[in-house]
Amino acid sequence: MDLAAPAARAPRLHGPLFFEVIGRVTISFLEHLGMYFGLIWWMVGNIRNARESSKNFFSQMVQIGNDSIPIVIFVSTFVGMVTAVQSAYQLYSWIPRSVVGGLVIKSVLLELTPLLTALVLAGKVGATITAEIGSMRVTEQVDALEAMGFDSVSFLITPRILAGIVMFPVLVVFGDLLAVLGGLFGAVIVAHIPAGAFIAGMKSSFVTRDAVFGLTKATIFGYTITSIASYQGYYVVGGSAGVGKATMSTVVYTCLAVVILDFILASTLL
Amino acid sequence: MITIRDIRKSFDERPVLRGVNIDVRDRETLVVLGRSGGGKSVMLKMIVGLLKPDSGSINVDGNDVLSMTYPKLRELRFKFGFLFQGAALFDSLTVGDNVALALRRGRATHELELTEGEIAERVTFALEVVGLKNTEAVMPSNLSGGMKKRVGLARAIVPSPRYMLYDEPTTGLDMETADEINVLINDLRTKLGVTSIVVTHDIHSAFVVGDRFAILNDGRTLMTGTRAEIENSTDEDVRKYISSSLSTSRTRLT
Ligand SMILES: Nc1ncnc2c1ncn2[C@@H]1O[C@H](COP(=O)(O)OP(=O)(O)OP(=O)(O)O)[C@@H](O)[C@H]1O
Ligand SMILES: [Mg+2]
Repeated sequence: MDLAAPAARAPRLHGPLFFEVIGRVTISFLEHLGMYFGLIWWMVGNIRNARESSKNFFSQMVQIGNDSIPIVIFVSTFVGMVTAVQSAYQLYSWIPRSVVGGLVIKSVLLELTPLLTALVLAGKVGATITAEIGSMRVTEQVDALEAMGFDSVSFLITPRILAGIVMFPVLVVFGDLLAVLGGLFGAVIVAHIPAGAFIAGMKSSFVTRDAVFGLTKATIFGYTITSIASYQGYYVVGGSAGVGKATMSTVVYTCLAVVILDFILASTLL
Repeated sequence: MITIRDIRKSFDERPVLRGVNIDVRDRETLVVLGRSGGGKSVMLKMIVGLLKPDSGSINVDGNDVLSMTYPKLRELRFKFGFLFQGAALFDSLTVGDNVALALRRGRATHELELTEGEIAERVTFALEVVGLKNTEAVMPSNLSGGMKKRVGLARAIVPSPRYMLYDEPTTGLDMETADEINVLINDLRTKLGVTSIVVTHDIHSAFVVGDRFAILNDGRTLMTGTRAEIENSTDEDVRKYISSSLSTSRTRLT
Protein backbone atom coordinates (compact mmCIF):
# COMPACT_ATOMS: atom_id res chain seq x y z
CA MET A 1 0.00 0.00 0.00
CA ASP A 2 0.92 3.64 -0.38
CA LEU A 3 1.64 4.24 3.29
CA ALA A 4 4.02 1.34 3.51
CA ALA A 5 5.92 2.31 0.43
CA PRO A 6 8.30 4.92 1.88
CA ALA A 7 9.31 2.59 4.68
CA ALA A 8 9.90 -0.23 2.25
CA ARG A 9 12.02 2.00 0.07
CA ALA A 10 14.02 3.57 2.88
CA PRO A 11 16.77 0.96 3.31
CA ARG A 12 17.65 1.14 -0.37
CA LEU A 13 18.75 4.73 0.07
CA HIS A 14 21.84 3.94 2.14
CA GLY A 15 23.82 1.79 -0.23
CA PRO A 16 23.27 3.09 -3.73
CA LEU A 17 22.59 6.73 -2.81
CA PHE A 18 26.10 7.88 -3.70
CA PHE A 19 26.02 6.14 -7.06
CA GLU A 20 22.48 7.34 -7.66
CA VAL A 21 23.55 10.94 -7.21
CA ILE A 22 26.62 10.50 -9.38
CA GLY A 23 24.50 8.79 -11.98
CA ARG A 24 21.86 11.47 -11.99
CA VAL A 25 24.41 14.27 -12.23
CA THR A 26 26.17 12.51 -15.11
CA ILE A 27 22.93 11.94 -16.99
CA SER A 28 21.82 15.53 -16.54
CA PHE A 29 25.25 16.78 -17.64
CA LEU A 30 25.13 14.59 -20.75
CA GLU A 31 21.60 15.78 -21.48
CA HIS A 32 22.72 19.40 -21.30
CA LEU A 33 25.74 18.64 -23.45
CA GLY A 34 23.50 17.00 -26.03
CA MET A 35 21.10 19.92 -26.08
CA TYR A 36 23.97 22.40 -26.25
CA PHE A 37 25.52 20.71 -29.27
CA GLY A 38 22.08 20.32 -30.81
CA LEU A 39 21.67 24.08 -30.60
CA ILE A 40 25.11 24.74 -32.09
CA TRP A 41 24.46 22.19 -34.82
CA TRP A 42 21.21 23.95 -35.67
CA MET A 43 22.95 27.30 -35.70
CA VAL A 44 25.65 26.14 -38.10
CA GLY A 45 23.18 24.31 -40.32
CA ASN A 46 20.94 27.35 -40.60
CA ILE A 47 23.69 29.94 -40.73
CA ARG A 48 22.17 31.42 -43.88
CA ASN A 49 19.10 32.53 -41.94
CA ALA A 50 21.39 34.80 -39.96
CA ARG A 51 21.57 37.15 -42.93
CA GLU A 52 18.20 38.43 -41.78
CA SER A 53 19.81 39.62 -38.58
CA SER A 54 23.09 41.19 -39.73
CA LYS A 55 22.00 44.37 -37.96
CA ASN A 56 21.91 42.44 -34.70
CA PHE A 57 25.50 41.32 -35.27
CA PHE A 58 26.78 44.89 -35.39
CA SER A 59 24.68 46.03 -32.46
CA GLN A 60 25.94 43.05 -30.44
CA MET A 61 29.56 43.94 -31.22
CA VAL A 62 28.92 47.48 -30.07
CA GLN A 63 27.19 46.22 -26.96
CA ILE A 64 30.03 43.86 -26.03
CA GLY A 65 32.51 46.67 -26.58
CA ASN A 66 30.57 49.19 -24.54
CA ASP A 67 29.94 46.72 -21.76
CA SER A 68 33.54 45.61 -21.51
CA ILE A 69 35.94 48.40 -22.35
CA PRO A 70 35.94 50.16 -18.96
CA ILE A 71 36.49 46.96 -17.03
CA VAL A 72 39.10 45.68 -19.50
CA ILE A 73 41.01 48.97 -19.17
CA PHE A 74 40.93 48.72 -15.42
CA VAL A 75 41.80 45.05 -15.06
CA SER A 76 44.54 44.97 -17.72
CA THR A 77 46.36 48.02 -16.45
CA PHE A 78 46.42 46.72 -12.92
CA VAL A 79 47.40 43.22 -13.95
CA GLY A 80 50.35 44.67 -15.88
CA MET A 81 51.46 46.74 -12.92
CA VAL A 82 51.14 43.89 -10.44
CA THR A 83 53.03 41.48 -12.69
CA ALA A 84 55.91 43.93 -13.03
CA VAL A 85 56.09 44.69 -9.33
CA GLN A 86 55.86 41.07 -8.24
CA SER A 87 58.36 39.83 -10.81
CA ALA A 88 60.84 42.46 -9.64
CA TYR A 89 60.25 41.41 -6.04
CA GLN A 90 60.74 37.70 -6.77
CA LEU A 91 64.04 38.08 -8.65
CA TYR A 92 67.42 37.54 -6.97
CA SER A 93 69.37 40.74 -6.82
CA TRP A 94 72.07 39.50 -9.22
CA ILE A 95 69.59 38.89 -12.08
CA PRO A 96 69.49 41.87 -14.47
CA ARG A 97 66.36 43.97 -13.99
CA SER A 98 65.60 43.94 -17.68
CA VAL A 99 64.33 40.38 -17.19
CA VAL A 100 61.21 41.90 -15.64
CA GLY A 101 60.21 43.29 -19.05
CA GLY A 102 60.50 39.82 -20.54
CA LEU A 103 58.46 38.24 -17.75
CA VAL A 104 55.73 40.81 -18.08
CA ILE A 105 55.31 40.50 -21.84
CA LYS A 106 55.38 36.69 -21.76
CA SER A 107 52.85 36.26 -19.02
CA VAL A 108 50.61 39.05 -20.24
CA LEU A 109 50.38 37.84 -23.84
CA LEU A 110 50.21 34.14 -23.12
CA GLU A 111 48.06 33.95 -20.08
CA LEU A 112 47.05 36.93 -18.05
CA THR A 113 45.16 39.16 -20.44
CA PRO A 114 43.28 36.40 -22.29
CA LEU A 115 42.35 34.56 -19.10
CA LEU A 116 41.44 37.53 -16.94
CA THR A 117 39.53 39.24 -19.75
CA ALA A 118 37.59 36.02 -20.28
CA LEU A 119 36.85 35.56 -16.59
CA VAL A 120 35.73 39.13 -16.17
CA LEU A 121 33.62 39.04 -19.32
CA ALA A 122 32.15 35.67 -18.39
CA GLY A 123 30.42 37.59 -15.66
CA LYS A 124 29.58 40.67 -17.61
CA VAL A 125 28.93 39.64 -21.21
CA GLY A 126 27.80 36.10 -20.38
CA ALA A 127 25.35 37.14 -17.69
CA THR A 128 23.91 39.85 -19.92
CA ILE A 129 23.30 37.43 -22.77
CA THR A 130 21.59 34.84 -20.56
CA ALA A 131 19.43 37.46 -18.90
CA GLU A 132 18.41 39.02 -22.23
CA ILE A 133 17.59 35.82 -24.09
CA GLY A 134 16.12 34.20 -20.96
CA SER A 135 13.72 37.02 -20.28
CA MET A 136 12.67 36.97 -23.93
CA ARG A 137 11.97 33.28 -23.53
CA VAL A 138 9.82 33.59 -20.42
CA THR A 139 7.81 36.51 -21.79
CA GLU A 140 7.13 34.60 -25.03
CA GLN A 141 9.17 36.99 -27.15
CA VAL A 142 11.08 34.01 -28.53
CA ASP A 143 7.77 32.41 -29.49
CA ALA A 144 6.67 35.71 -31.02
CA LEU A 145 9.81 35.84 -33.17
CA GLU A 146 9.23 32.31 -34.38
CA ALA A 147 5.54 32.98 -34.98
CA MET A 148 6.50 35.94 -37.18
CA GLY A 149 8.60 33.59 -39.28
CA PHE A 150 12.03 34.42 -37.89
CA ASP A 151 14.50 31.69 -37.03
CA SER A 152 14.96 32.65 -33.38
CA VAL A 153 18.33 30.91 -33.08
CA SER A 154 19.73 32.75 -36.09
CA PHE A 155 18.14 35.96 -34.93
CA LEU A 156 19.21 35.92 -31.29
CA ILE A 157 22.09 33.52 -30.83
CA THR A 158 24.18 33.56 -34.02
CA PRO A 159 24.83 37.33 -33.89
CA ARG A 160 25.83 37.12 -30.24
CA ILE A 161 28.27 34.27 -30.76
CA LEU A 162 29.81 35.83 -33.86
CA ALA A 163 30.14 39.14 -32.06
CA GLY A 164 31.88 37.34 -29.20
CA ILE A 165 34.28 35.60 -31.56
CA VAL A 166 35.19 38.91 -33.20
CA MET A 167 35.21 41.17 -30.16
CA PHE A 168 37.12 39.05 -27.64
CA PRO A 169 40.41 39.09 -29.57
CA VAL A 170 39.95 42.82 -30.18
CA LEU A 171 39.48 43.39 -26.47
CA VAL A 172 42.49 41.21 -25.70
CA VAL A 173 44.75 43.16 -28.08
CA PHE A 174 43.56 46.29 -26.36
CA GLY A 175 44.11 44.69 -22.96
CA ASP A 176 47.62 43.50 -23.96
CA LEU A 177 48.63 47.05 -24.82
CA LEU A 178 47.31 48.43 -21.58
CA ALA A 179 48.88 45.65 -19.54
CA VAL A 180 52.27 46.37 -21.08
CA LEU A 181 51.88 50.06 -20.32
CA GLY A 182 50.77 49.18 -16.80
CA GLY A 183 53.81 46.94 -16.49
CA LEU A 184 56.10 49.74 -17.59
CA PHE A 185 54.51 52.07 -15.09
CA GLY A 186 54.81 49.56 -12.25
CA ALA A 187 58.39 48.74 -13.15
CA VAL A 188 59.54 52.34 -13.34
CA ILE A 189 57.58 53.93 -10.51
CA VAL A 190 57.37 51.14 -7.94
CA ALA A 191 60.29 48.80 -8.70
CA HIS A 192 62.64 51.57 -9.86
CA ILE A 193 63.73 49.77 -13.00
CA PRO A 194 64.93 52.10 -15.77
CA ALA A 195 62.37 52.31 -18.56
CA GLY A 196 65.07 51.53 -21.15
CA ALA A 197 65.97 48.26 -19.43
CA PHE A 198 62.35 47.19 -19.11
CA ILE A 199 61.65 47.88 -22.78
CA ALA A 200 64.84 46.15 -23.89
CA GLY A 201 63.84 43.09 -21.87
CA MET A 202 60.40 43.10 -23.45
CA LYS A 203 61.80 43.35 -26.94
CA SER A 204 64.23 40.50 -26.51
CA SER A 205 61.54 38.16 -25.14
CA PHE A 206 58.74 38.99 -27.53
CA VAL A 207 57.81 36.27 -30.01
CA THR A 208 54.87 36.58 -32.38
CA ARG A 209 53.80 33.06 -31.55
CA ASP A 210 52.88 34.10 -27.99
CA ALA A 211 50.64 36.86 -29.26
CA VAL A 212 48.99 34.52 -31.76
CA PHE A 213 48.46 31.91 -29.06
CA GLY A 214 46.89 34.52 -26.79
CA LEU A 215 44.55 35.70 -29.51
CA THR A 216 43.58 32.14 -30.44
CA LYS A 217 42.64 31.60 -26.82
CA ALA A 218 40.66 34.82 -26.82
CA THR A 219 38.70 33.69 -29.88
CA ILE A 220 37.92 30.32 -28.31
CA PHE A 221 36.94 31.92 -25.01
CA GLY A 222 34.74 34.38 -26.89
CA TYR A 223 32.91 31.52 -28.53
CA THR A 224 32.69 29.51 -25.31
CA ILE A 225 31.28 32.29 -23.17
CA THR A 226 28.71 33.56 -25.65
CA SER A 227 27.55 30.08 -26.67
CA ILE A 228 27.11 28.77 -23.12
CA ALA A 229 25.36 31.98 -22.13
CA SER A 230 23.04 31.81 -25.13
CA TYR A 231 22.22 28.18 -24.45
CA GLN A 232 21.40 28.95 -20.83
CA GLY A 233 19.09 31.77 -21.83
CA TYR A 234 17.41 29.99 -24.71
CA TYR A 235 16.32 27.02 -22.60
CA VAL A 236 15.29 28.90 -19.48
CA VAL A 237 12.31 27.49 -17.62
CA GLY A 238 10.48 28.77 -14.57
CA GLY A 239 9.74 32.44 -15.17
CA SER A 240 11.88 35.28 -13.95
CA ALA A 241 13.19 33.21 -11.05
CA GLY A 242 14.43 30.79 -13.67
CA VAL A 243 16.18 33.61 -15.52
CA GLY A 244 17.98 34.58 -12.32
CA LYS A 245 19.10 31.02 -11.71
CA ALA A 246 20.24 30.53 -15.30
CA THR A 247 22.24 33.76 -15.14
CA MET A 248 24.03 32.54 -12.04
CA SER A 249 24.78 29.19 -13.68
CA THR A 250 26.13 30.97 -16.73
CA VAL A 251 28.72 32.75 -14.64
CA VAL A 252 29.73 29.50 -12.94
CA TYR A 253 29.78 27.31 -16.06
CA THR A 254 31.54 29.83 -18.31
CA CYS A 255 34.28 30.39 -15.69
CA LEU A 256 34.75 26.65 -15.29
CA ALA A 257 34.80 26.09 -19.03
CA VAL A 258 37.31 28.91 -19.52
CA VAL A 259 39.84 27.63 -16.97
CA ILE A 260 39.50 24.04 -18.16
CA LEU A 261 39.96 25.07 -21.80
CA ASP A 262 42.86 27.28 -20.80
CA PHE A 263 44.64 24.25 -19.39
CA ILE A 264 43.77 22.05 -22.38
CA LEU A 265 44.94 24.66 -24.87
CA ALA A 266 48.17 25.29 -23.00
CA SER A 267 48.88 21.56 -22.87
CA THR A 268 48.12 20.93 -26.53
CA LEU A 269 49.16 24.06 -28.40
CA LEU A 270 52.23 25.29 -26.56
CA MET B 1 -9.01 25.68 -43.59
CA ILE B 2 -7.51 24.46 -40.34
CA THR B 3 -8.18 20.94 -39.15
CA ILE B 4 -7.15 19.74 -35.72
CA ARG B 5 -7.57 16.04 -35.03
CA ASP B 6 -7.32 14.28 -31.71
CA ILE B 7 -4.52 16.41 -30.30
CA ARG B 8 -3.02 15.18 -27.04
CA LYS B 9 -0.35 16.83 -24.92
CA SER B 10 1.08 16.25 -21.47
CA PHE B 11 3.59 18.36 -19.59
CA ASP B 12 5.66 16.31 -17.15
CA GLU B 13 3.17 13.43 -17.23
CA ARG B 14 0.32 15.85 -16.50
CA PRO B 15 -2.19 15.68 -19.35
CA VAL B 16 -3.35 19.10 -20.57
CA LEU B 17 -4.98 18.22 -23.89
CA ARG B 18 -6.66 14.83 -24.14
CA GLY B 19 -8.23 14.72 -27.56
CA VAL B 20 -9.05 18.07 -29.12
CA ASN B 21 -10.88 18.18 -32.46
CA ILE B 22 -11.52 21.49 -34.18
CA ASP B 23 -12.29 22.54 -37.75
CA VAL B 24 -11.97 26.13 -38.84
CA ARG B 25 -13.53 26.90 -42.20
CA ASP B 26 -12.19 29.53 -44.53
CA ARG B 27 -13.29 33.07 -43.75
CA GLU B 28 -14.96 32.26 -40.48
CA THR B 29 -14.16 33.24 -36.93
CA LEU B 30 -14.09 30.31 -34.57
CA VAL B 31 -14.13 31.11 -30.88
CA VAL B 32 -12.52 28.72 -28.42
CA LEU B 33 -13.98 28.89 -24.94
CA GLY B 34 -12.63 27.12 -21.92
CA ARG B 35 -11.46 27.35 -18.35
CA SER B 36 -8.22 28.95 -17.31
CA GLY B 37 -5.37 26.48 -17.56
CA GLY B 38 -7.35 24.33 -19.96
CA GLY B 39 -4.68 24.38 -22.64
CA LYS B 40 -6.14 26.97 -25.02
CA SER B 41 -2.87 28.87 -25.43
CA VAL B 42 -1.02 25.58 -25.86
CA MET B 43 -3.40 24.62 -28.65
CA LEU B 44 -2.94 27.92 -30.49
CA LYS B 45 0.83 27.56 -30.35
CA MET B 46 0.58 24.08 -31.82
CA ILE B 47 -1.18 25.38 -34.92
CA VAL B 48 1.94 27.31 -35.97
CA GLY B 49 4.33 24.65 -34.72
CA LEU B 50 5.63 26.45 -31.63
CA LEU B 51 4.77 23.38 -29.56
CA LYS B 52 4.47 19.79 -30.71
CA PRO B 53 1.56 17.63 -29.58
CA ASP B 54 2.34 14.15 -28.29
CA SER B 55 -0.07 12.73 -30.84
CA GLY B 56 -2.76 13.82 -33.26
CA SER B 57 -2.62 15.87 -36.43
CA ILE B 58 -2.87 19.50 -37.47
CA ASN B 59 -3.58 20.50 -41.01
CA VAL B 60 -3.51 23.95 -42.57
CA ASP B 61 -4.67 24.33 -46.19
CA GLY B 62 -4.07 20.63 -46.72
CA ASN B 63 -0.51 20.72 -45.33
CA ASP B 64 0.41 18.62 -42.33
CA VAL B 65 1.99 21.07 -39.88
CA LEU B 66 3.66 18.40 -37.76
CA SER B 67 5.69 16.85 -40.56
CA MET B 68 6.78 20.11 -42.19
CA THR B 69 10.46 20.94 -42.69
CA TYR B 70 11.59 24.09 -40.93
CA PRO B 71 11.73 26.28 -44.07
CA LYS B 72 8.18 25.21 -44.97
CA LEU B 73 7.05 25.91 -41.44
CA ARG B 74 8.47 29.42 -41.66
CA GLU B 75 6.58 30.03 -44.88
CA LEU B 76 3.42 28.81 -43.22
CA ARG B 77 3.93 31.06 -40.21
CA PHE B 78 4.17 34.02 -42.49
CA LYS B 79 0.50 33.50 -43.39
CA PHE B 80 -0.44 33.80 -39.72
CA GLY B 81 -0.85 36.74 -37.41
CA PHE B 82 -0.49 35.72 -33.77
CA LEU B 83 -1.67 37.89 -30.90
CA PHE B 84 -0.05 36.49 -27.75
CA GLN B 85 -1.91 36.46 -24.46
CA GLY B 86 0.76 38.65 -22.84
CA ALA B 87 1.35 40.64 -26.05
CA ALA B 88 5.01 39.45 -26.12
CA LEU B 89 6.35 42.76 -27.41
CA PHE B 90 10.11 42.94 -27.97
CA ASP B 91 11.14 45.16 -25.11
CA SER B 92 14.39 46.26 -26.71
CA LEU B 93 12.52 47.77 -29.67
CA THR B 94 10.23 50.78 -29.90
CA VAL B 95 6.54 50.29 -30.62
CA GLY B 96 7.14 51.29 -34.23
CA ASP B 97 9.99 48.82 -34.68
CA ASN B 98 7.96 46.07 -33.04
CA VAL B 99 5.27 46.48 -35.65
CA ALA B 100 7.76 47.01 -38.47
CA LEU B 101 9.69 43.85 -37.66
CA ALA B 102 6.91 41.68 -39.07
CA LEU B 103 7.31 43.52 -42.39
CA ARG B 104 11.11 43.51 -42.33
CA ARG B 105 11.15 39.73 -42.03
CA GLY B 106 9.09 39.60 -45.21
CA ARG B 107 11.52 41.88 -46.97
CA ALA B 108 14.58 39.94 -45.89
CA THR B 109 13.29 36.79 -47.55
CA HIS B 110 11.80 38.64 -50.53
CA GLU B 111 8.31 37.49 -49.74
CA LEU B 112 7.21 41.06 -49.32
CA GLU B 113 9.21 43.80 -50.98
CA LEU B 114 8.67 47.10 -49.23
CA THR B 115 10.72 50.28 -49.01
CA GLU B 116 11.41 51.89 -45.63
CA GLY B 117 8.83 54.54 -46.51
CA GLU B 118 6.15 51.97 -47.26
CA ILE B 119 6.96 50.13 -44.05
CA ALA B 120 6.61 53.33 -42.04
CA GLU B 121 3.29 54.06 -43.73
CA ARG B 122 1.88 50.63 -42.98
CA VAL B 123 3.10 50.78 -39.38
CA THR B 124 1.43 54.16 -38.88
CA PHE B 125 -1.76 52.81 -40.38
CA ALA B 126 -1.78 49.64 -38.26
CA LEU B 127 -1.21 51.65 -35.08
CA GLU B 128 -4.02 54.00 -36.03
CA VAL B 129 -6.36 51.07 -36.56
CA VAL B 130 -5.77 49.85 -32.99
CA GLY B 131 -6.21 53.38 -31.65
CA LEU B 132 -2.57 54.14 -30.85
CA LYS B 133 -1.73 57.00 -33.16
CA ASN B 134 1.73 58.59 -32.75
CA THR B 135 3.15 56.00 -30.41
CA GLU B 136 5.90 54.78 -32.78
CA ALA B 137 8.76 56.08 -30.65
CA VAL B 138 7.47 54.83 -27.28
CA MET B 139 9.21 51.89 -25.60
CA PRO B 140 6.89 48.99 -24.68
CA SER B 141 7.88 49.20 -21.00
CA ASN B 142 6.14 52.58 -20.87
CA LEU B 143 2.79 51.22 -22.05
CA SER B 144 -0.14 49.97 -20.02
CA GLY B 145 -1.20 46.33 -20.32
CA GLY B 146 -4.12 47.17 -22.61
CA MET B 147 -1.94 49.33 -24.84
CA LYS B 148 0.64 46.54 -25.13
CA LYS B 149 -2.10 44.21 -26.21
CA ARG B 150 -3.15 46.62 -28.93
CA VAL B 151 0.44 47.04 -30.16
CA GLY B 152 0.62 43.25 -30.26
CA LEU B 153 -2.53 43.30 -32.35
CA ALA B 154 -1.10 45.92 -34.72
CA ARG B 155 2.03 43.80 -35.08
CA ALA B 156 -0.03 40.73 -35.87
CA ILE B 157 -2.23 42.33 -38.53
CA VAL B 158 0.34 44.55 -40.26
CA PRO B 159 1.60 41.96 -42.81
CA SER B 160 -2.05 41.26 -43.84
CA PRO B 161 -2.08 37.61 -42.78
CA ARG B 162 -4.63 35.13 -44.09
CA TYR B 163 -5.09 33.62 -40.67
CA MET B 164 -5.31 35.32 -37.30
CA LEU B 165 -4.85 33.63 -33.95
CA TYR B 166 -6.05 35.80 -31.10
CA ASP B 167 -5.19 34.74 -27.54
CA GLU B 168 -7.53 36.69 -25.26
CA PRO B 169 -7.77 39.82 -27.43
CA THR B 170 -10.08 41.72 -25.08
CA THR B 171 -9.02 40.52 -21.64
CA GLY B 172 -7.88 43.39 -19.46
CA LEU B 173 -9.35 46.05 -21.72
CA ASP B 174 -12.10 48.50 -20.81
CA MET B 175 -15.45 47.86 -22.47
CA GLU B 176 -15.14 50.54 -25.12
CA THR B 177 -11.70 49.44 -26.23
CA ALA B 178 -12.85 45.84 -26.16
CA ASP B 179 -15.72 46.77 -28.44
CA GLU B 180 -13.34 48.50 -30.82
CA ILE B 181 -11.17 45.40 -30.94
CA ASN B 182 -14.22 43.26 -31.61
CA VAL B 183 -15.21 45.55 -34.47
CA LEU B 184 -11.68 45.23 -35.83
CA ILE B 185 -11.82 41.44 -35.67
CA ASN B 186 -15.12 41.47 -37.53
CA ASP B 187 -13.80 43.94 -40.11
CA LEU B 188 -10.81 41.74 -40.86
CA ARG B 189 -13.16 38.89 -41.61
CA THR B 190 -15.78 40.74 -43.64
CA LYS B 191 -13.47 43.11 -45.54
CA LEU B 192 -10.31 41.04 -45.95
CA GLY B 193 -11.66 37.52 -45.60
CA VAL B 194 -9.34 36.60 -42.78
CA THR B 195 -9.87 33.23 -41.10
CA SER B 196 -9.56 33.50 -37.33
CA ILE B 197 -9.40 31.60 -34.11
CA VAL B 198 -10.23 33.64 -31.04
CA VAL B 199 -9.47 32.27 -27.60
CA THR B 200 -11.38 34.07 -24.91
CA HIS B 201 -13.02 33.95 -21.49
CA ASP B 202 -15.25 36.86 -22.35
CA ILE B 203 -18.47 35.27 -23.53
CA HIS B 204 -20.02 38.55 -24.62
CA SER B 205 -17.12 39.35 -26.92
CA ALA B 206 -17.25 35.75 -28.07
CA PHE B 207 -20.83 36.15 -29.25
CA VAL B 208 -19.99 39.45 -30.97
CA VAL B 209 -17.12 38.06 -33.09
CA GLY B 210 -17.80 34.33 -33.36
CA ASP B 211 -19.43 32.46 -36.21
CA ARG B 212 -18.96 29.17 -34.47
CA PHE B 213 -17.80 28.14 -31.04
CA ALA B 214 -15.76 25.32 -29.58
CA ILE B 215 -15.84 24.58 -25.88
CA LEU B 216 -12.75 22.98 -24.36
CA ASN B 217 -13.38 21.15 -21.15
CA ASP B 218 -11.10 18.81 -19.29
CA GLY B 219 -8.71 18.71 -22.24
CA ARG B 220 -11.37 17.69 -24.76
CA THR B 221 -13.66 19.52 -27.17
CA LEU B 222 -16.92 19.32 -25.37
CA MET B 223 -18.92 20.74 -28.25
CA THR B 224 -18.58 22.71 -31.48
CA GLY B 225 -21.41 24.69 -33.02
CA THR B 226 -23.14 27.99 -33.71
CA ARG B 227 -24.41 30.24 -30.96
CA ALA B 228 -27.92 28.83 -31.28
CA GLU B 229 -26.66 25.26 -31.17
CA ILE B 230 -24.64 25.96 -28.06
CA GLU B 231 -27.36 27.87 -26.26
CA ASN B 232 -29.96 25.21 -27.07
CA SER B 233 -27.69 22.32 -26.24
CA THR B 234 -29.20 19.73 -23.95
CA ASP B 235 -25.78 18.49 -22.88
CA GLU B 236 -25.49 18.91 -19.13
CA ASP B 237 -21.83 20.05 -19.21
CA VAL B 238 -22.41 22.59 -21.99
CA ARG B 239 -25.38 24.11 -20.16
CA LYS B 240 -23.38 24.32 -16.97
CA TYR B 241 -20.46 25.95 -18.78
CA ILE B 242 -22.59 28.55 -20.55
CA SER B 243 -24.63 29.52 -17.52
CA SER B 244 -21.57 29.89 -15.29
CA SER B 245 -19.74 31.94 -17.93
CA LEU B 246 -22.71 34.24 -18.39
CA SER B 247 -23.18 34.78 -14.69
CA THR B 248 -19.53 35.43 -13.89
CA SER B 249 -18.79 37.69 -16.83
CA ARG B 250 -19.56 41.37 -16.85
CA THR B 251 -23.15 42.51 -17.03
CA ARG B 252 -24.00 45.13 -19.57
CA LEU B 253 -26.89 46.79 -21.31
CA THR B 254 -27.41 45.69 -24.84
N1 LIG C 1 5.87 25.15 -22.12
C1 LIG C 1 5.19 24.58 -21.10
N2 LIG C 1 5.82 23.76 -20.26
C2 LIG C 1 5.16 23.17 -19.24
N3 LIG C 1 3.86 23.36 -18.97
C3 LIG C 1 3.17 24.20 -19.77
C4 LIG C 1 3.80 24.85 -20.88
N4 LIG C 1 2.88 25.61 -21.50
C5 LIG C 1 1.73 25.43 -20.81
N5 LIG C 1 1.89 24.59 -19.77
C6 LIG C 1 0.84 24.15 -18.84
O1 LIG C 1 -0.27 23.74 -19.59
C7 LIG C 1 -1.46 24.13 -18.96
C8 LIG C 1 -2.35 24.86 -19.94
O2 LIG C 1 -1.79 26.11 -20.21
P1 LIG C 1 -2.43 27.18 -21.18
O3 LIG C 1 -1.61 28.40 -21.05
O4 LIG C 1 -2.59 26.62 -22.53
O5 LIG C 1 -3.86 27.41 -20.55
P2 LIG C 1 -4.99 28.39 -21.06
O6 LIG C 1 -6.17 27.58 -21.40
O7 LIG C 1 -4.44 29.28 -22.11
O8 LIG C 1 -5.29 29.20 -19.74
P3 LIG C 1 -5.59 30.76 -19.58
O9 LIG C 1 -7.00 30.94 -19.97
O10 LIG C 1 -5.37 31.01 -18.12
O11 LIG C 1 -4.64 31.48 -20.45
C9 LIG C 1 -1.07 24.96 -17.75
O12 LIG C 1 -1.21 24.16 -16.61
C10 LIG C 1 0.38 25.29 -17.98
O13 LIG C 1 1.07 25.30 -16.76
MG1 LIG D 1 -3.90 31.14 -22.25
